[in-house]
Amino acid sequence: MREFVDESIEPVEFKSTWKRERSLASNESQTKEISLQDAATQSFKTFNQEVQSDLKDERYSLHTVNLDHQKLAAFLQKVEPMVMRYLGKNLKSRAFDDVSDLSEKTLDTVTCVHTLNSNDLNLQFQVTGLSWNSTGSTLAASYGRFDHEDWCTHKAAICTWNLDRRSVKEDKPDTFIDSSCCLMSLEFHPANPAWLAGGNFNGEVILWDLSREDDLVLATSGIGDESHREPVSKVYWITDQSPKMKNYNIVSVSGDGKILIWSIDLKKGKLRQLKSFLLMNKDLPRSMKVRGVRSDKEVGVTCISFSHEDPDLFVLGSESGCLFKCSLHSNESHKKSSDQAYSPVTFTFNPHHGPVHSVDCSKFHRHAFLSSGMDQSLRLYNMLQAPPVLIIEPGEGYIYSSKWSPTRPAIFAAVSEKGNLLIYDLHSGNMTPIHKLEASPNKVPVYSLQFNSQQKRILATGDGQGYIRVYRLPEKLTSLIVQDNEVLEEIMNTGSD
Amino acid sequence: MAAEVEETLKRIQSHRGVTGTIVVNSEGIPIKTTLDNSTTVQYASLIHSLTAKARSTVRDIDPSNDLKFLRIRSRKNEIMCAPDKEFLLIVIQQDEQS
Repeated sequence: MREFVDESIEPVEFKSTWKRERSLASNESQTKEISLQDAATQSFKTFNQEVQSDLKDERYSLHTVNLDHQKLAAFLQKVEPMVMRYLGKNLKSRAFDDVSDLSEKTLDTVTCVHTLNSNDLNLQFQVTGLSWNSTGSTLAASYGRFDHEDWCTHKAAICTWNLDRRSVKEDKPDTFIDSSCCLMSLEFHPANPAWLAGGNFNGEVILWDLSREDDLVLATSGIGDESHREPVSKVYWITDQSPKMKNYNIVSVSGDGKILIWSIDLKKGKLRQLKSFLLMNKDLPRSMKVRGVRSDKEVGVTCISFSHEDPDLFVLGSESGCLFKCSLHSNESHKKSSDQAYSPVTFTFNPHHGPVHSVDCSKFHRHAFLSSGMDQSLRLYNMLQAPPVLIIEPGEGYIYSSKWSPTRPAIFAAVSEKGNLLIYDLHSGNMTPIHKLEASPNKVPVYSLQFNSQQKRILATGDGQGYIRVYRLPEKLTSLIVQDNEVLEEIMNTGSD
Repeated sequence: MAAEVEETLKRIQSHRGVTGTIVVNSEGIPIKTTLDNSTTVQYASLIHSLTAKARSTVRDIDPSNDLKFLRIRSRKNEIMCAPDKEFLLIVIQQDEQS
């Protein structure tokens, strides 16, 4: 029998045939040292240098030329008596009176210089407002429609043309500002040629700066309780009533009977409401009141014109046909009305027989103003009396706008539904227009009219298809005649008897 | 002498309606003026050549004659030119009616 015993067997080792022992060694390496260096550079230097091209007040005398004072004195002594004699004679001379008259008569026609329109508007829009800027070089037009039956969904625009440029593109405006709804009126700033105020169909008053690159809107009134709730019918710039007379404020009137005065807050891009007036049914003259209509219902305002003599005095035209003399200082508040709205009215004139389309105060006569309306008549009123001093019925359909000439007191122009521009001269006794021109290429109604107050011979009209015509008036219609003031004065006085 | 010249020019300039006085030398260079630089240069060169032309016309017709005074009536003003051998006086007078 064999016994089990413990046995230890020697381990056997054998070397791998394919693996080799690794040999390790340490070594060091060093890249080149990074070298740092400081140096200052400067790309350009600036310095100021003043230049002056022409001194304004300096009387020039050129001393570089060698002057023989003795000879010059002798020469002057010789010619002086002769020159002085003729200088004196000239003042009294009537020799050339007729000559200048003759030359003026030959230039007697009103010529159309430009017919402007924007191709992008496809003749769909009416020219609702026209305005010349303070330098008289740029004409701006607001496009919109007067015949809304519903919400306004039109894509309207403002276009401007600079007519002083050598080549005026008549079908392409220099500036095109588009708007999401119709624009109803616009007016350039009286001093800053790039600022333009306008009002749109939604009752918003907007201020643009045409000199800016991308976003032209400087300030806006927004839409809300503060602003208008009906289309803005007119905007106008007035000077601040502060003694400095430096600030300009915007006045806007609207179909909701509100007359709002806005100050410009450029930091916030907002127009701040300074004062508001409200025109109500109770302001109407007794003859116009309809029984059963509440007296605190608003009367829509269609147009406004400020007196050139008294900055607080203005005339309003309304949808009811009434004309009102108003004051910015009026403090008579409407009773019953919840919000503190003042009635601006101080006097009421005999009404038109339909909505008033335009009023315009004369620059030359402190009491004269012109109005026109849907009753097809042009009227001349005296601020001091209710009945008009003159009524002209041209038989041209509705008269959409009438304006005084900025240069001659006895001349005014009007545009009509039949598409004509009428120019009247109060000298000519019988009240027929002295010039009647087609202001619309396709004989559609002409809505706007604006004299250029800087370049006094220029006049612009805008029609129902968006065509703007720019006219040049003959010198006869623009150079001041002394008798003009007398004629106007005489007509203003006839009514008061 | 210089004061005397200034006196005379002042007298002419203060006459009613006068808007400018220029004295030009025989080369057409303005020596005395009451107008601004650019207007003066324009008036001086244009009137100087016109006066020279008028003078040569008068002389061509009758060599013993000479131009004494040239008046230019325009719609807005009257330009008076008094020429001499060495100088030319230009006075511009505004028309009262315009």
